[in-house]
Amino acid sequence: MSEPTAPTPRTRIRRLPELGVYERERIYAILDEALYCHLAWVGPDGDPRVIPTIHTRIGDTLYLHGSSASSTLRAIKQGLPVAIAVTLVDGIRFARSMFEHSMNYRTVIVYGLAQEVTDREELTKVFDAITDQVAPGRSADARPPTEEELRQTTFVKVSLDEASAKVSEGFPEESDADLALDVWAGILPLRTVPGEPLDDPLLKPGTPRPGYVTDWRRPGAGA
Amino acid sequence: MADAPSDRTRVHRHPERADYDAATVHAILDEALTCTVCWVDADGGPRALPTIQARIGDILYLHGSRAARAWKAVAAGAEVCVVATVVDELVLARTSPTHSMNYRSAVVYGRAREVSDIAELRAAAKAITHHVLPGREDDAAEPQDDDWRETLLFAMPIEEASAKIRTGPPMDDPEDLDLDVWAGTLPLRTVAGTSAPAPDLKPGIPAPGYLPRNGQEFPRP
Repeated sequence: MSEPTAPTPRTRIRRLPELGVYERERIYAILDEALYCHLAWVGPDGDPRVIPTIHTRIGDTLYLHGSSASSTLRAIKQGLPVAIAVTLVDGIRFARSMFEHSMNYRTVIVYGLAQEVTDREELTKVFDAITDQVAPGRSADARPPTEEELRQTTFVKVSLDEASAKVSEGFPEESDADLALDVWAGILPLRTVPGEPLDDPLLKPGTPRPGYVTDWRRPGAGA
Repeated sequence: MADAPSDRTRVHRHPERADYDAATVHAILDEALTCTVCWVDADGGPRALPTIQARIGDILYLHGSRAARAWKAVAAGAEVCVVATVVDELVLARTSPTHSMNYRSAVVYGRAREVSDIAELRAAAKAITHHVLPGREDDAAEPQDDDWRETLLFAMPIEEASAKIRTGPPMDDPEDLDLDVWAGTLPLRTVAGTSAPAPDLKPGIPAPGYLPRNGQEFPRP
């Protein structure tokens, strides 16, 4: 797990290479915090395709809900080449000049072969992990999938061996000429916060709201 | 409601969540702060890169760079697809397979051209600044001609596009409604923290009024 991923030509950060991160711990923390990812593959006509989907990580493997891509996936038994992008925006960096505006962000790109998860025991673990990805602790309460539901859902897995992160933080850096401008510069942090939970209209009366809902926060996310 | 503009934009899984109206697609592209640009590289593999976008009418502008080799394929006319996603609520159902999210996503297919006309570049840079925070575009210093050397902006028509939207409570089967498990939705919002002035900010420049205060909703165009 502490072994860094080896940057390949496609994961090496070329624009602002000093922002490139290849340590697994830091890459995994970003994947674990993100609520969703963008999953891209090459369509039957050689054109790019993409869907937003949810993911979860177990060890050095990333699992993705892949039902929308399942027809393409099943056609390629040896694995479907995919690219996965995750983006967390931590804040806006306001520079004096329009051009130096940027964001404080953490992104991860993963390349690999997506393979359908077929092992029953593995699928059950993925269901637990992906349910906890929504709200940590949730899998202990929700009814686990039935045999029929396990058959109906497609999960794919991708090794995290070819992955890189890009992390940008700090204040804007501007030329001396721009520093003299009469324009405010600085950082605006952004965060995702929960609102008031809404009971299902069909909720059985008297069912209490669990703590992971009333005190919801992302794993690794600050207060 | 409009029909899918092409076969690949047609939503096959949960077709009831599809929306092909331009106004719906536009609103998602405006609200999502970032997007992911995808294309197929010279070796036939999929590539993905997050970036920032802005929309003027039915043109989507994408922020690229000359240093990132990836953008060269896009500049050379590779087919691209762009996806933007906004998560509105977590959907906690009584069973783990029925868990979901209420979200809005938009996918745009097409080819992007490099913007080279200075007037269009200026308009696009202004639109991107407005996309980040409405009001900022009238405040920040406009680009100088040599600013364009490093940065690359692409323009892409929003013609072949679709949106997918999920709303509402969990959809559990009738036989699961009796389970003693809380079910419902948890709305999520993006809010501002406390803004911090740059350490080298010229003294006497107040925080601008368009900057949201701590805990306030992050304003979207």
